[in-house]
Amino acid sequence: MKIDLISKVCSDFEGYEYLIQIFRSAESSRDKTITLIFTKNYWFEANLAAVLGAIVELLEAKGKKVHLYNIHPDVAKVLRKNRFLCDFGHLPLPDTYGTILSYQRFNPVDDDAFMDYIKSELLTKPDFPKHSPALGKKISQSIFELYENARTHGKCKQIHTCGQYYPNKAVPRLDVTIVDMGISIKKNVVDYLKKTLTGGDAIEWAVQYGNTTKTGTISGGLGLDIMFEFVKLNNGKVQIISSDGYWEFRRGETLRTNFRSTFPGTIVNIEFNLNDTTGYYLIEETPEDIRF
Amino acid sequence: MVEAKTILKVSEIIGGDTAVSTDDGQKIFDLLAVSIQEKQAIAADFSGIQIMTTAFLNAAIGQLYSQFTSEELNSYLNLVNINSEDRILFKKVVERAKQYFKDQKSFDNAVNQGLDG
Repeated sequence: MKIDLISKVCSDFEGYEYLIQIFRSAESSRDKTITLIFTKNYWFEANLAAVLGAIVELLEAKGKKVHLYNIHPDVAKVLRKNRFLCDFGHLPLPDTYGTILSYQRFNPVDDDAFMDYIKSELLTKPDFPKHSPALGKKISQSIFELYENARTHGKCKQIHTCGQYYPNKAVPRLDVTIVDMGISIKKNVVDYLKKTLTGGDAIEWAVQYGNTTKTGTISGGLGLDIMFEFVKLNNGKVQIISSDGYWEFRRGETLRTNFRSTFPGTIVNIEFNLNDTTGYYLIEETPEDIRF
Repeated sequence: MVEAKTILKVSEIIGGDTAVSTDDGQKIFDLLAVSIQEKQAIAADFSGIQIMTTAFLNAAIGQLYSQFTSEELNSYLNLVNINSEDRILFKKVVERAKQYFKDQKSFDNAVNQGLDG
């Protein structure tokens, strides 16, 4: 089966819906070989490599082989820098400007590997764009909360991640995408609440403070809330895609809607505003003593 | 608070300055729970920890409420050298765990009713 990619694939509702459509078409095809033709595509956002990588994993798990054909040099440059294309026989390009969080796959059992990745590609990177230490700590905390959420709720084989700095934008930013192909938020929430919900409504429930589908001896319901509260203060952006649900927070507004088809897992894409000098820890209550 | 004879250095147990995973939190919980169960006062020393998440703290500290009361924890567990900016996380985790374990069943029902409302 040959699939011609459209000219521009961005991290927005249409972009995600398009990628879901590609997956569903390839999945339902009888062909064992899927060729994604990039001839008309001149823009493929770098962080979407995590989504495409997850789709390739799913198709391969169904016995299909995915080929990428005729990639535009500009697109190839970005996807070689973040090493996504190395799995498809391309050589990597050096990350000259230190603006890449490389595309990586993690086994959820190995939590140290992700920690090492964030340390080497985010915290200790010499060319990390200027930001306050408080902001760096909050960003790292949010990413780790999300990753743990994917590990514990998704119960998947691999977690795909990728990221990109945009230091020269009017508002410098960092985009990070985490994709797990396990149990979707919708399934977890619907099973827990025993109610019929749309994907968008299920995500909306999951991001609220105190809401968790955990039932064991470890409480939950804080990780997504803490990430979300920070992104609000940071004036950043969050997109969550899970099953047929799309949920977005941007510029103080929340949007939730549903795709025509379903994504078999969860994508979280966060955009952090790096031009942020908020003294986060001063505006929060800091108790002197911890009382149980 | 009974004076702690044992000091558990968190960074040594988890092997680093990043306390973020549920698995590492479980390691801390296991050690704290044994000590408190035996009514041996213990201090958990968080010096050197740079980044912490609620995922770690839910497992390490919040989970203690599945076995112990607030009185027992206040008597036998002391948390020391926590960065001032991380104290808010502890507070949230402790409040959340109290709520979660107080009556897990009625809490689950309350969540369902909240959704209905």
